[in-house]
Amino acid sequence: MESLVKVELVGKTVDVTLTGKLDAIKAPELMEGFKKLIGMEIDKIIFRASDLEYISSAGLRTIIFAKQKIGMDAEIFFEGAQEAVLEVIQMSGLDNFLTISEKV
Amino acid sequence: MNTIELPAIMDNLEEGIDFILAGIEQAGVDQKMLFQLRLACEEVIVNVINYAYPDSKGSMQISYDISDNELEVVVSDSGVHFNPINKEDPDLSIPLEDRKIGGLGIFLVRNIMDQVEYSREDGRNILTMRKVLK
Repeated sequence: MESLVKVELVGKTVDVTLTGKLDAIKAPELMEGFKKLIGMEIDKIIFRASDLEYISSAGLRTIIFAKQKIGMDAEIFFEGAQEAVLEVIQMSGLDNFLTISEKV
Repeated sequence: MNTIELPAIMDNLEEGIDFILAGIEQAGVDQKMLFQLRLACEEVIVNVINYAYPDSKGSMQISYDISDNELEVVVSDSGVHFNPINKEDPDLSIPLEDRKIGGLGIFLVRNIMDQVEYSREDGRNILTMRKVLK
């Protein structure tokens, strides 16, 4: 599967769709997408992860970056992630700070 | 040991990982373990690419061996002295907004692998990690 990241701003919601791998090669592209949103009023960040096959620490850092730099007060949703991806999120302790849900 | 030597640049990350994974796949591990081993390999190779040669270009040597069902991966470089495992684990209880953006990679590697060792020999950083394949 080709790796793709898509970032859309809908009102005060950042809608992120992840496909394939979010690794050290792909994460910088997502980081650039987030940097454009710094300073905007954001109350929700949704990661749509049902087609995300793989994530590494570079990908996890983009989630932390999103929280710290664009959504300090925003709720962060992580939707539809596959079990292997969820395990990495849990291993790194990020699950305590994300609202994780099944595919919607 | 099966060994490959590549310029330590991000364009070669995939090739370095796939070199190791091709060997592991032959050993017949399940998808979950393959995912985790890909992750561990990415983290140690990315460390070399990002930190070994801050002011110059250089190469990385990637080796692996599987014997008695144990995988051993060795990643080495001749760059600046850098011990990635000489770091405190990140505090996972700290809320995301206060989390330092770093240290996660090697933390994941330690979680996934059975053993992770670093040594500096003859001007080389040598990172060795092992895991029993199930």
